[in-house]
Amino acid sequence: MNHNDDPQIPPDWSYNPSAWNQRIPIIVLALGGMGIATYLTLYQLRVLSSVWEPFFGDGSEKILNSSVSRLLPIPDAALGAISYLVDVVSGIVGGTGRWRTMPWIVIVFGLAVGPLGVVSIVLVILQPVLFDAWCTLCLSSAVISLWMIGPAMDEMLASLQYMKRVKKANKSVWKAFWGNEKAISQVH
Amino acid sequence: MWAQIINVILGLWLMVAPSVLSYDQTGSNNAHIIGPLVVTFAFVACWEITRPVRKVNFLSGAWLLAAPWLLGYSETLPILNDMVVGALVIGFAWVEGKITTSFGGGWKSLWT
Repeated sequence: MNHNDDPQIPPDWSYNPSAWNQRIPIIVLALGGMGIATYLTLYQLRVLSSVWEPFFGDGSEKILNSSVSRLLPIPDAALGAISYLVDVVSGIVGGTGRWRTMPWIVIVFGLAVGPLGVVSIVLVILQPVLFDAWCTLCLSSAVISLWMIGPAMDEMLASLQYMKRVKKANKSVWKAFWGNEKAISQVH
Repeated sequence: MWAQIINVILGLWLMVAPSVLSYDQTGSNNAHIIGPLVVTFAFVACWEITRPVRKVNFLSGAWLLAAPWLLGYSETLPILNDMVVGALVIGFAWVEGKITTSFGGGWKSLWT
């Protein structure tokens, strides 16, 4: 499929990172992650009395009832579910030219994906080191959060490059960041 | 991309190695920490846009070469395993692989 005639393609790019075929897979991943995290939250809140664990015996129970999981006022899985929700929403908002018309949402999206990945990996490391256990669904959630990083970063790069062109043209980066229409019309 | 997939597998192997080989507690913890990190950087580097992230695994690999001696592993097999995996991780992190997409000059364009 050739998209080269798409006016939304950033300069010197081979595709448009804000196109729906680029964004929908990430949104689907984030929805999946949100589903898993919500399920784990329900267990941590004792709405569900047991948790699915096909491989590691009582591993999931150990991890989900661990001291680390209760460090914050809300269960750690709830925090994950909220982060995934931010990813879903910031993945959906905006049209197919949003790398240029709404850089702020693209940056929110990129920044939401990053820390989620970092926290997931820290939790994966803590599982065997502190608790000598693994939790299948926690690992699955970590994989999903890593899976979103690559696909989300291209859009962020396109927005950053755009704001750099705005700066080079001596226009207001601030206005461009918030998607000011006049600012958008001045720099491609 | 294949080189990064191999590093993902090597990282996964580090995560399970302590339950297969006779690691002591220190070595086991080290493998359980470095394994997920190797997986993370290699997995993210599978995408062309984030391929440069593969280079972070130079550090992971270098640490795996040094760790058995700095941390004083008590068993031979884990020492060998960590060093071989470390060397391989460095080697595969080196491989950039094909970049078929253009990203308007990439990340470099932001600092030039």
